[in-house]
Amino acid sequence: MPSLALLLSQAFNGLALGTLLALVSSGLTIILGTLGVLNFAHGSLLMVGCYVALVVLNATGSWLLALVSVLVFMFVAGVLIERVIMRLFYQRPPEDQILVTFGIGIVVVETMRALFGSQTQHMAVPPWGEGVTRIGFLIYPTYRLELIGIIAFTLLVQYVVLYRTSLGLVVRAGIENAAMTGILGINVPRTFLLVFGFGVVAAGVAGMLYGPILSVTPDSGEVYLVQAFVVIVIGGLGSFPGAVLGGLIAGEIMSITSAFNSAYSEVMLYAVMALVLVVRPQGLFGTEGRV
Amino acid sequence: MKRFPLLPELTLVVVLVLTPYVLTHVGFSYDLMQRVLDWGILGIGFDLLFGWTGLLSFGQAAFYGTGGFVTAWLLLDGGMHSVWLALLIGTIAAGVVGVCLGWFAVRRIGIYFAMITLAFGQMAFFIEFNPLSDFTGGENGLPGVPVPTLGWDGWAFRINTGLPMYWVMAAFFLASFLLGRRIVHSPFGVVLRAIKENTARAAMLGHAVPRYKLAAFTIAAMFAGLSGGLLGVFQSFMPPDAFMLDTSGQLVVQTVVGGVGTLVGPAVGAAVWLWLRDNLQLIPGVGSLWKLILGAIFVVLVIALRRGICGEIRHLWSRRRLARLPDATRETRAPEVHVAPVMTMTAPLIRARPDAPALETSDLSKQYGGLRAVDQVSFAIQEGTIHAVIGPNGAGKSTLFKMLLDEVHPTEGQVRLFGRQITGMGATRTAQLGIGKSNQLNTLFLDLSARENMRVAALGRRRGAFRLDVLRRADSIAEVERQVETALASVGLTARGDLPAHVLAYGEKRRLEIGMALATGPNVLLLDEPLAGMSPEERISTRTLIREIGRGRTLVIVEHDMDAIFDLADRITVLYEGRKLADGSPDDIQRNQAVQDAYLGGMRDVHEPA
Amino acid sequence: MSLLEVEAINSFYGDSHILFDVSLRVEEHECVALLGRNGAGKTTTLRSIMGVLSPGSGTIRLDGKPIQGRPPYEIAQLGMQLVPEERAIFGALTVEENLRLAALTAPGAWPLDRIYQVFPRLAERRRSGGRTLSGGEQQMLAIARALIRDARIILLDEPFEGLAPLIVRDLVRVSRELVQQGRTIVVVEQNVAAALSFADRVYVLNNGHVVWEGTPDELHADPSVMKSHLGV
Repeated sequence: MPSLALLLSQAFNGLALGTLLALVSSGLTIILGTLGVLNFAHGSLLMVGCYVALVVLNATGSWLLALVSVLVFMFVAGVLIERVIMRLFYQRPPEDQILVTFGIGIVVVETMRALFGSQTQHMAVPPWGEGVTRIGFLIYPTYRLELIGIIAFTLLVQYVVLYRTSLGLVVRAGIENAAMTGILGINVPRTFLLVFGFGVVAAGVAGMLYGPILSVTPDSGEVYLVQAFVVIVIGGLGSFPGAVLGGLIAGEIMSITSAFNSAYSEVMLYAVMALVLVVRPQGLFGTEGRV
Repeated sequence: MKRFPLLPELTLVVVLVLTPYVLTHVGFSYDLMQRVLDWGILGIGFDLLFGWTGLLSFGQAAFYGTGGFVTAWLLLDGGMHSVWLALLIGTIAAGVVGVCLGWFAVRRIGIYFAMITLAFGQMAFFIEFNPLSDFTGGENGLPGVPVPTLGWDGWAFRINTGLPMYWVMAAFFLASFLLGRRIVHSPFGVVLRAIKENTARAAMLGHAVPRYKLAAFTIAAMFAGLSGGLLGVFQSFMPPDAFMLDTSGQLVVQTVVGGVGTLVGPAVGAAVWLWLRDNLQLIPGVGSLWKLILGAIFVVLVIALRRGICGEIRHLWSRRRLARLPDATRETRAPEVHVAPVMTMTAPLIRARPDAPALETSDLSKQYGGLRAVDQVSFAIQEGTIHAVIGPNGAGKSTLFKMLLDEVHPTEGQVRLFGRQITGMGATRTAQLGIGKSNQLNTLFLDLSARENMRVAALGRRRGAFRLDVLRRADSIAEVERQVETALASVGLTARGDLPAHVLAYGEKRRLEIGMALATGPNVLLLDEPLAGMSPEERISTRTLIREIGRGRTLVIVEHDMDAIFDLADRITVLYEGRKLADGSPDDIQRNQAVQDAYLGGMRDVHEPA
Repeated sequence: MSLLEVEAINSFYGDSHILFDVSLRVEEHECVALLGRNGAGKTTTLRSIMGVLSPGSGTIRLDGKPIQGRPPYEIAQLGMQLVPEERAIFGALTVEENLRLAALTAPGAWPLDRIYQVFPRLAERRRSGGRTLSGGEQQMLAIARALIRDARIILLDEPFEGLAPLIVRDLVRVSRELVQQGRTIVVVEQNVAAALSFADRVYVLNNGHVVWEGTPDELHADPSVMKSHLGV
């Protein structure tokens, strides 16, 4: 039986991991809900954000510049992918969409490998995140604590955009009935473009924020892609609250399980997914009959 | 293909025999060839699942690894001597895992299915890597897997790596291919294809779709298990990366590159992938970019040449064949109708009461949230009559119709077929019991020929909801073939029988749609707006067709074409706002004032002082 | 020049030929009814006009400019609005959000209060989720969405279908007021009596063809038309 200190610190780890998954999954689920596209390239885009931040950091040393670069670069990348490739696939069967995003994922990962090599790069923790913090008897890395706050803030921003702005209104309507949204005068293809762009930005930002904690290699994103899939199955396809809650649950499941036996941490996650599939196939927040 | 029986099989034998002598000169080592064949075997199973059943799985590595590690462990720690037996057990083990995981996975389709298989594939990897590492060697894998021997005792002949091992792999690949071809051309395989083309229609024709999907999933798992076991054997080492997502992903890429739905496509794709990997790496400057190049090729293929190498070749071949068929594009005029007066029909399996009406509803209702679409409708359809259901829009006709064959479950009330309760059974069961339906919108299997469409329909009831008859030919059941030809003749499509359904003109497609319902050999035939979208001439000929079909059968028709209804129907039921408004002979209905009012909008209700 | 001119359109669902050379015109400020049994092609006509379905051939002109083949959002921005048969209320959004969404791309959008004056019932339910509305409330909201855009032409597809007679009476009143205010309306209905009570002119469709054109009075005067094309 693990000690209380271990359990608590794992619980915090679970929060840190959970918020990362929530952010990654939120982008994935919005793209899926609005465009009906399951973006298999999402994991690779996570690492793109990481590498972009790394390049800018090494060149300028400024975290702010790195953030801005990531936002701009990822948005442009997302728009390009949507315009050039995804646009062609909206009328095609879902399997074709999966195949093309899978292929894009391979191309992105290999491009990063060609540019940066396969060896693990190191991204330094920002100066305001160095060191450790004491919480009662628990000693916890400062940066991870700050991350929880930062991601929570990012998710809050996403929530505000989705539920309090006109753009969010259009996206939510588009998720439900894209055809009717078009009839009401809204340029739905352009909305799709923006949604894809934002989803990609979310992945890139997540990558940048987690760079100091992850091992930075071109292949690292793959793990999070699969976990994000599990999260949106648990949370419900196309549901933003589902991605957030599902991500937190997933993070905690994995972290707490590893306090008991680290060999089983991922296995436990998949077992929970199987359970959800049997008991409530549409996920926590999903609508019945969506798939 | 009928002119040259076994042409693909013979071609493959020739290719396999020549390969070690020809391909060694173009950069293929024996080891490479064996790998290609191994991927090819894995791919045959995957192609059956994706190319034939339409299920895109990203988790085949789970079964590849299971078969591989079970085989390897048996031969190492398990103390088994016979490699062949170990391979067999490994294959079966993979099949068992396949049934277990498949039970979860096939409940979902499309995107969901891909995600679930991906997740399970990863789960298998993590289980192999850690909890079971005592058996699997964890990140080291299992080295030292022995090579197989042929014969026994004094005559035992070890099969060494190199050319002898190649022949073993080639033999396994050939056997797998032959088995794959048999499965594909069996009635089972035909149903798989129908499921891929139009799952709902396949279910409504009486095929138990979930069982077929699970069977296909398990078969694919077993092919994967065999190839996994062979991997350990031919390279004398069972690696942990057999379980990795990369393996499942590589399989998908190779299959798409080589051609989905061709059985040999995955092997061709593997040859391309592995050859490029081995040979591009030798070129300075290009070296490590081989995977990037492959990925880019893959993306381009998915966008533009979706069929892959073998698929495009086959497509060109069949287009040339199509162009050479007589009258390939000229549609037939209105057919001379000669419906077999009474087509061989399976007699009613049970008559609960000898005088029971063919189809009867009691207090049938359907509620959608706050809306009562159908409200306490009771009526009876007598055997051998043509019974029409009409009503203004929103009257609940299509909902009622769907409840007659239990395509939609009623909220209240019952439906009885020849006196037997069929409420809640589902459309697949009711199809097996003798209700056939033709839909308002054509729901054909567009890539199959007209004859094959009819065959899928005829196989439903004659053969039962599910049979694993993978070894017989699809057209070898005499009764089924008779039914197919009779149905084609009834709707005047015999001459066009071998054309793919998507080539047919709209009117012909409509006739095929009706013909398919006929081909199921139904006791009760439901026709949902059979005249929808037809020109005036087509309507006349279709009316004749319906009249002919109605001789000696029970027909229920929903239509808006009033001329047709009054011409054809023996009895008419009128629905209004979900309730039965009237029920009687055509004359009764025409004289019924309430019916006139319903259609013209209750002129009394809305009258208002200005 | 009529506000809306439909010239000989042929529309298909896949290769199913639904409309055969359908022509009609709508003058500004008038209310035109499209009658016919279901399956006649009335909904297909409206969807073709709104651009949801592109006609295979023929022309559709709004204010003299051709609009066939253009996407629905462009046609909506030119002042046309469809209230579809299935109403298509966004269940996940509130009543007010449905209205705000509709107003987004309409430069002359009505203020919310004005809509709530016309439909007080919607004001009561402004914060309710779309999926909690009754059939009648959904229909009101669907019409309100077209109204808030200050649409020049409103296409109403079976607005009275499936509603209780009292609600139908309410909606007929609203429709009459809209017509009296000079709004241009094309209404598709199976409820002949309701449609005739506020339409200026009538087209009758049967099996995808226009088979009769005239005024409500002329239709009343000729019972054979009703019987053969509309009744039973």
